[in-house]
Amino acid sequence: MIALSVAAVLAVFLLYTSIAGGGNASVSPSELRGRSDPVQLAGLVVGPVTGDAHGGGLRFRLRDIGEKSGVTVPVRYTGSVPDLFKVGRHIVVDGRLRNGVFVAEPGSMITKCPSKYSPAQKAGTG
Amino acid sequence: MSELGRAALLVTLGLSVYALVAGVAAARLGRRRLALSAQNALLAAFVSTAVASAVLLAALLRHDFSFTYVARTTSEALPTAYTISAFWGGQEGSLLLWLLVLTGFGAAAVRLNRSWARDLVVWVVPVFAAVAVFFAFLVVAVASPFATQPAPADGVGMTPSLQNPYMLAHPPLLYLGYVGLTVPFAFALGALLSGRTDERWLVATRRWTLVAWTALGVGQLLGAHWAYVEVGWGGYYAWDPVENAALMPWLAATAFLHSVMIQEKRGMLRIWNVLLVFLAFSLSLFGTFLTRSGVVNSIHAFTQSSIGPWFLAFIAVTVAVSVAVLLRRLPLLRSRARLESPLSREAAFLYNNLLLLALCLAILWGVVYPLLSEAVRGEAVVLGRSYYDFFLRAFGLPLLLLMGIGPLIAWRRASLASLATTFRWPTAFALATGAVLLALGAGSSLPGLVAYTFSAFVAATIVLEFARGTAARKALGATSWPGAFFSLIARNRRRYGGYVVHAAIVLLAVGIAGSSAFDSVGEATLRPGETLEVGRYALTYRSLDERQTANATELRALLSVRRGGRDLGTLEAGKNAYTVEQQVSNEVGIRSDRLTGEDLFVIAEQIDPDGTVTFRVFVKPLVNLIWLAGLVFVLGSLIALWPDAREQRRLAERASSLGLTTSR
Repeated sequence: MIALSVAAVLAVFLLYTSIAGGGNASVSPSELRGRSDPVQLAGLVVGPVTGDAHGGGLRFRLRDIGEKSGVTVPVRYTGSVPDLFKVGRHIVVDGRLRNGVFVAEPGSMITKCPSKYSPAQKAGTG
Repeated sequence: MSELGRAALLVTLGLSVYALVAGVAAARLGRRRLALSAQNALLAAFVSTAVASAVLLAALLRHDFSFTYVARTTSEALPTAYTISAFWGGQEGSLLLWLLVLTGFGAAAVRLNRSWARDLVVWVVPVFAAVAVFFAFLVVAVASPFATQPAPADGVGMTPSLQNPYMLAHPPLLYLGYVGLTVPFAFALGALLSGRTDERWLVATRRWTLVAWTALGVGQLLGAHWAYVEVGWGGYYAWDPVENAALMPWLAATAFLHSVMIQEKRGMLRIWNVLLVFLAFSLSLFGTFLTRSGVVNSIHAFTQSSIGPWFLAFIAVTVAVSVAVLLRRLPLLRSRARLESPLSREAAFLYNNLLLLALCLAILWGVVYPLLSEAVRGEAVVLGRSYYDFFLRAFGLPLLLLMGIGPLIAWRRASLASLATTFRWPTAFALATGAVLLALGAGSSLPGLVAYTFSAFVAATIVLEFARGTAARKALGATSWPGAFFSLIARNRRRYGGYVVHAAIVLLAVGIAGSSAFDSVGEATLRPGETLEVGRYALTYRSLDERQTANATELRALLSVRRGGRDLGTLEAGKNAYTVEQQVSNEVGIRSDRLTGEDLFVIAEQIDPDGTVTFRVFVKPLVNLIWLAGLVFVLGSLIALWPDAREQRRLAERASSLGLTTSR
């Protein structure tokens, strides 16, 4: 009885993983080199920020969070820009690398919001 | 002053250690006076924690920036209410609050139950003490709220988006829920340790679990409402790891609240119940670990700190000890009754439990998947929204249906004929509702249509139950119909409170289905005078206003709204630019329709200097039912919680008579 129910639940689970497959890899700018599959890119915004998110696209660069590896990736983004987006913030965008530019999916940007649990200035610096 | 706080916390740590050691010794050796002394130590630990808390609160109110914690979380200009909320705003303070609630709950739960369950309570005390030792150690040695520094002129202050009434209630409610789950955990583990595995630990903790569960549920809904109104992206839940961290223990506790009834009535699922309590408590610790350690990407960036590994170690110890004790006591937990038929109330509750647990574990899998895939494949893979949405439908929709079936199906064995009579009208009503909605065009989303149909079914069963019960009480001699209705609820608060909670879940399901499966979106860049149409609404952008307030520049786009040719007035949406904090925040415009529960939700995405504005507009049908569900949920919980001396006595008698037979 219980075993049957558990089996049914497992079957649903396997059904999902076989149909939909896994999610997207989460990578940092320095790990992006040479990949062209859809990924989730997490990094720190580096200026200058130019362009128009509701026109030709917002342009900026991302670098690794934490270490100063010096590797930056140009990003083109369209769609909603969260309130907290600015130079120096941590953001996460979905998309893929095309001809050396990371083209983000429209509206996929999320910023790490400084929550109650961290003082405003220190948000993200660890 | 900081010395007093530090000293008080040291005393708490010492008392907790004493309560643990003396408690174990007393329980093993059977020393009653030592056991009493351990109980008193737990109470004293609460008092000394309260002293430490008072010191911190006083420092906050006096703006004493020589306290590092005060300087980092508040500023001179911060309003008093938010200065108080800074108590749980930072990591150190929130750990102190945790310890305060933990020792308070522990001391109260032990005192309330020690007269009628003494043999059980002697082992509950050391479990509470062990958890308190961990948290006291953290605030003494790892993350002290009483660290000092040369006082700066002013503090750092609080992020503007968090200076918000929701943030006064949302975090403490979640803490209350998390910590409250310690009570059933301590009693369950205490019952196993003492070998008194009868039903008394359930009776002792039912209300505590209900309180914790209600707080956790309301806390999450408040968080969702805050996200909807303040964060302004058009949604209320994003399956973010930190949000999931609160949902998982809630689901485990929901399963427990249901399976408890099967154990009380039939003595079944005894191992299962203990497991659920262990799971709920471990998940609440795991949730704290997730938010504190920064191991997974979340939109909520908490201070990443050194307490992560400590939590991981404590979770490991908790799980190891729980499982070891459970395995040793397994023979005592064998059920006397067996499941007789797959068509019975026991079976329906079992399906409900499996589905809740499956949903909980699917979410857990999604949360830890980036970590697992990183360990196995060398790169972190993130499961997106579609993963969670799939499982919410696959497990949530059958759960919804079971909510209508479970409470009405017969115990032990139900015949098909009796099922047909019981569910004839609800089924007919649900099918009719489904057909009407299909004709109205709800077929655009199959999961949405199914959710509506199932909700209609459950709603019909609940209404029928209230109608039948009221009619029966009237027939038994109640003077009036309202009198009959209220005496029905008063005489069986647990049952009818449960139905009211079920009604809240129906509202929640309808609200979620309506706002996520049947919403419409529109986006356009408008110059003044131009119009955007979304659904049946037409929005005309009139003008852009700029206002200057004390700390921000407010830009507001004024829109006039029409629906089906009827003028509905104006709506404002815009942005605030905070000068000092150098931050911009979206201020969305929301127009709620009181009659239909529908929201028109306007975001001014981008405001250009020449006055053109890019608007993003959502029409979200029925979304207000979600918030209404919160109120109904609290009402139902209160009915179920309300002290009922008669029922408590009955349960206690039955439990202790069972206890005598099992402890031999």
